Amino acid sequence: MKRIEVRLSLPVVAPLLDVIKTSADALNGRLAASVEAPEMEVEYSDTWRSELLASQNTDVKTLLALFDSEFFTSGVVGFDEGNAEAIVRASAAIRLYLREHYLQPLGDETLESGDIEIDELQEPVRKAFMCYLFLATIQELIIQHLDSSILGS
Amino acid sequence: MIASGSKTHTSPAPTVETQLATQGGWRVVVLNDPVNLMSYVVMVFKKVFGFTEEVARKHMLEVHEQGRSIVWNGLREKAEAYVFTLHEWHLTAIIESDEKN
Repeated sequence: MKRIEVRLSLPVVAPLLDVIKTSADALNGRLAASVEAPEMEVEYSDTWRSELLASQNTDVKTLLALFDSEFFTSGVVGFDEGNAEAIVRASAAIRLYLREHYLQPLGDETLESGDIEIDELQEPVRKAFMCYLFLATIQELIIQHLDSSILGS
Repeated sequence: MIASGSKTHTSPAPTVETQLATQGGWRVVVLNDPVNLMSYVVMVFKKVFGFTEEVARKHMLEVHEQGRSIVWNGLREKAEAYVFTLHEWHLTAIIESDEKN
């Protein structure tokens, strides 16, 4: 099984974990993206949403499991085909949540262009944006190094 | 929903044909969002639809530049399954009838 391990800077990442945990808690009972289910019976639509929510919860738990006691000792996180897909999706979910709840002042065009001076941002937007970038970096790492593994799973 | 066995019925054929035609005319459309990475969208398209890198990038760029891309069309039931999977990946996807221009 192909696996990549990444050593993260604890002083940089640890403060971001509060934001990730808070966002994960907030996503426990709601979907990250406003989902428009196809026109269908109400019962089926409810099932659609509850299954998406269950999937999202599983993914977010997998992401949070990266930052266990071993991480706080070594600073190392590991990705393989067993957790990569869930982590990439959970990162997308939390980035969507951060955009909706913290990053609206930046505007979507600015957010999409990435043309943002972090030092000029005020809290809590600054920390949320750093978290947003951190999760994007994790996604990029997995996509670059494990894309074929994910596709093959 | 029409059971596949309906095709073998000889009567009333016009009704069955109409229903099958309606079922077949659905498309899956992915809409742009300002959050998901281009590389992420390409990966999702490859995984969900089995697209090559080139085709996946073409659809991703359509989404990015035109705001939407039709990534699949066919039976409604399968279109719904694709949209569900795309929602699992947190992409904004909808189903449209082929009759809609």
